[in-house]
This record gives sequence, structure tokens and C-alpha cells, in this order.
Amino acid sequence: MTQPIIKVETLSKTFVSKERKKGQRKRKKAVQALKDIDLEVYDGEVFGLLGPNGAGKTTLIKCLTTLLLPTSGTAWVNGYNVETQEDLVRASIGCMLMGDRGLYWKLTGRENLNFFGALYHVPKSPRLQRIEYLVDLLKLGDFVDRTVETYSSGQRMILAFAKSLINDAPILFLDEPTVTMDVPTARELRKIVRELNEAGKTILYTTHLMHEAEELCDRVGIIDHGEIIVLGTVPELKASIPHEDVVNLEGIFPTYVVEELRGLEGIKTVAVTAEMGGRSRLDVLCENSRLMLPKIIESIAGNGAMIEFIRPQEVTLEDVFVVKTGRTLDVDTRQVVVEGKGGRGR
Amino acid sequence: MGEVVSHGLGLARPGWRANLEVVGTVVVARLKIVARYKGVILMEAFLPIVFAALPILLGVSIAGGSEKAATNFFNATGTENYALYMLIGASTFMVVSLMLWLVGYWLRREQESGTLEALYLVPTRRIYILAGVTTYAMIRSLTAFLIAIILGSLIFGVNPFSGNVLMAIAFLGIGLLPMWGISFLFGAFIMKVKEANSVIQLMQWVVAFLMGVYFPVTVFPPLLRFFALIFPPTVMTDGMRGSILALETLYGGWYVNFAILIAMAFVIPYLGYETFLRMERRIKRNEGVGQF
Repeated sequence: MTQPIIKVETLSKTFVSKERKKGQRKRKKAVQALKDIDLEVYDGEVFGLLGPNGAGKTTLIKCLTTLLLPTSGTAWVNGYNVETQEDLVRASIGCMLMGDRGLYWKLTGRENLNFFGALYHVPKSPRLQRIEYLVDLLKLGDFVDRTVETYSSGQRMILAFAKSLINDAPILFLDEPTVTMDVPTARELRKIVRELNEAGKTILYTTHLMHEAEELCDRVGIIDHGEIIVLGTVPELKASIPHEDVVNLEGIFPTYVVEELRGLEGIKTVAVTAEMGGRSRLDVLCENSRLMLPKIIESIAGNGAMIEFIRPQEVTLEDVFVVKTGRTLDVDTRQVVVEGKGGRGR
Repeated sequence: MGEVVSHGLGLARPGWRANLEVVGTVVVARLKIVARYKGVILMEAFLPIVFAALPILLGVSIAGGSEKAATNFFNATGTENYALYMLIGASTFMVVSLMLWLVGYWLRREQESGTLEALYLVPTRRIYILAGVTTYAMIRSLTAFLIAIILGSLIFGVNPFSGNVLMAIAFLGIGLLPMWGISFLFGAFIMKVKEANSVIQLMQWVVAFLMGVYFPVTVFPPLLRFFALIFPPTVMTDGMRGSILALETLYGGWYVNFAILIAMAFVIPYLGYETFLRMERRIKRNEGVGQF
């Protein structure tokens, strides 16, 4: 499992958009979404691409699936170049990129599968067999012959997943496939993803859900501000932040309390995630949670803050992200503006 | 690059047979979708009749009777059969207009619903998907054309089979090929501006004007006449009218019209598709096809 099936070489992507500010002339703004990405996804692995919204995950996947052209650098998928052999790249992959968008609502599920099967150049006889196989595998039987407009969002997601499998491609791109699915369906889907991987498929999986990444992925890359900041197996990444524990707190924490907490000796970082109604979540990284817990409580309690929940926890992938970036994965990141004016994408 | 492994293409078996199947599948899927919106095609068929009725009735009232109208019309066009002249014009305009509408709206709707991005993820080349969509647009518009001609002839009391019907059909058939190209150009434009309604509204009137739906384009001033004469729907409509109503065509003999249409049938689809591909590449360099 050491040969790459996807290879990305110094790939950059810059978008040019028009900025409209009140009272000012419209001006062009160049936004660098990806910065010199180098990446190899190995044959037969489940590779997890993690990162907050706006980090560049979708842009990278769009470049790899030929939906976008890179500004510089290039990539190969299944041995084919994404810029010069687009058709072969697309024939090599199955994609679920935009959730339940990408389905024809006035067609039935079966008609959708047949339609996309034909567009993936799957001949009629194996296509019909494949549809039957997918109907059984994903338990679509109850609704596959109804028009998609009558489906629940979970049913549409499952159908979109089935669509990504219609051509039985060696590589699968799954972008947040379990979002809007109920818990049992999501669990079932993860099981199928694992089975598909065991059957030899390489899977590039993006998710916000850390437990999904931990459960499924052989290796994980964390992308932030258009750069891959961390890459490795889940145990490797966890081991990369040694002797550090995390304490989660939920409640109401004024800014000065957070600042005071950051100033405590033994505290490494404090990541704040705003929640509803003025509440927030603190992920406190410290050298020794058992030792620090009383000090943390003492620092916060009686200082205008209200603690609703407190728990020391094991190091997770999210903690890895927090350590490397100083933020949680829930926080949106802004892409890097590289030019104030002019400049065109390639 | 040799280090990157390859595991084949799964169940995909590309080739001419697969491409042909794509065209058929797209046509069938579009027809299924439109069939699930009840009564659409029938309603479209009534539009040309209304379009033709307005100037016919206006002309008769201005001339002060249908005989006077026929005489006046003969002086301008060489035929007294103004009702059939306009019915052919309005019905052909419906075909042209529907082909632009359907391709333009198809692209826009696919962009909004997210299916355009899904279509860009499949290995099928765009030409085959576009061929499927334009063929569907052709089937739908020709169905509306046929119903409109039959119903319109009954309503206005004219005989559409009076002249050389086969030649008229040949003009329609050949004339639709450059329409493919024009709809590709139109699609490229819609993809860029990301707006279909206003463009279609404007184009509809420009097309109706240029192709001479209600009048011969010989009444135009020279520059406008030049543009009308190089506009494929004008040549197609003129050829059809010439065949059915035994009129002299704009370019003299019917064969000249025919030869020009054949040349247009080769050049315009090629230009249209090339423009579409260039626009698509330009969009993929920046925002991507899914952004709307």
C-alpha cells in the first residue's frame, strides 16, 4: 500500500473575484485557495481530508476531479493527468461531492442511476446488473422507483452515494457523505465504505466529524488556509502532540476569563468555539489535565463565568488540529488574499 | 509520473457505442422529465397560432378586408396567401425560439440544481450531452411545429400541403443543424453571464425580427438585410416559404438557399462547439461550472 494512486505536485489555485464595497469602485481581488500542495494518496487506502470550512478541501477535490483547473502545479489520478487526460480521470473515479444536489428530481432513483451509468459509459447489461446490486446493497428497494422529489434528504443522500458507485471505479471521492443522514444510516454507510475499501477501492473522504475520520481513515491530512499542515496516520498524529491533555468546558465564559486562563502556567492553548445564546466551548490544551483541572476551575469559577460541563478527554484528531492551528475545526477560515488588484487565474 | 499506479476504468467501456447511448439516454431522460410536467408541449403548440393570428388580423383590419389584404401582401411578397406565409413564419420561429430557450434554460437549470457539476464529473464529452439535449429540443420543438401547422391551417383555412412539402421539410431539416451551433453559442453565453431570462427575452425579439416572421426581410435597410441574410433561420424560413408558396427565394434559386444552409450546417455547429469549449475552460480556470 505504498504506491500512490493520486499524486499532487505543488498544486496552487487562485480565484479572481470582484470585490464590491459601498462607495468604492469595483476591483479585482485574487484569493489563493490552495498553496503549493504536495500530496500522495496511496493505492487501497482511505485517506481523510479534514479542515474547517473555507480551508481549501473542496477546491482541492474539485481540482482532482477536473471540475477546476489548477493555477499552477498539477496532479495525477489513477495514472492520468487532471489537465490533459480529463476524460480518463473522470472515468477512473466515482464522486459524491455535492450531497443530494446532482440528482434529477423529476426522475426516479432507478432512472437517475441508469442515466448516470450511461454517462459513465457503463454498457446496458452490466449497468442494469449494477443497479440491482446497488439497490440491494444500499437497501433502496422501498423508494428507488419513486421520483426523487418525494425522497427525504437522507434517502437522497443514499441515492447520491449509489450514483457514485454506479461505474465501479477504482477511486472514490466522498465529500461529507453522511451529512443529513440519520445515525443508523450513517453507520451503515461507513460500514459499506470500509467494505468497499477492503475490496480494493481507494477512497478520499472529507468530513467534519472526527470520529468518522478516526473510524475510517488509514491516513489523514489536515488542510488549513490552503496548505496541508499535518499528514499521517491517526495514531501518528495523536502521538505528534505528546504529554498534552485536553480539557473541554462548556458554558458562558467572558473574554477576560479566557485571557486569564491562557495566562495560567501549564496551559498551552485555549480554543474558543462560540455556540448559541452567548454560550461557548473551550478546548484547553495543557500539560497534565489531572494536575491542571483544579487550577482551571479555580481560575474560571467566581469570575463571572458559568461552567455547565467540564471533562478531561483523550487526545483526538480535533486536538491535533487545535494544536497546529490554535482554532477548532468548527471555525470558518478565510482564504488568503494574495493580491489587491488585477491578476488572473490560469 | 510513472510512479502513479492505475487500476483501469471500472465498468466504463468508452467508445462510439457508449457515446451514441449517451445521446439516446439524454434525449429519453429529457423527454421523461418534460412529460412529467403535464400539458407543456400542447401549450407550446398554441403559441405560433397566436403569434400568427395577431398580424393576420391586424393586416386584414388595416387593409379593410381580407381580399384587399391579400392584394397588398401580394405586391410585397409575391403571394396572396398571407395567412400561410405568417403561419410558416410563426411556427418556424417557434422551433428556433424553443431550441434557444430549451438549451439556455437547460444549462441554467442544471447549474442551479447542481446537476451541471454532476455532468462535468462524467467521462462523456460535452458534445454528446449537448447533442442529446439539442436533439431533445429539436424533437420537442418539431412536435410543437407540427401541431401548430395542422391546427393553424384548420383555424386560418389554409392548405399547408399546397406546394413542395418535401422540399420544405428538407429546408427545415438542414436548417436545424446550424441551429445546433447557435444554441451552443447561446449556451456558452448563458454559462458565462449566469442568467437566462433577460437574455432569452431579448434574443427572442431579435430572432423574430431578423428572420422575418411576418414580413420579407427585403424590406430591411441594406445593413440589416445583410445580417438577416447570413442568419440561418432566415434562410431556412425563406426556403420553406419558397417551397410551399412557390415564391422566389432571397438568394434567387432554391438550390442557392439550400447550398448556403448546408455550408452553415457545417461551419456554425463547429464554431458554436469550439466557443462553448473555450468558455467552459475559461470558467474552469476560475470559479468553476457549479457556481451560479
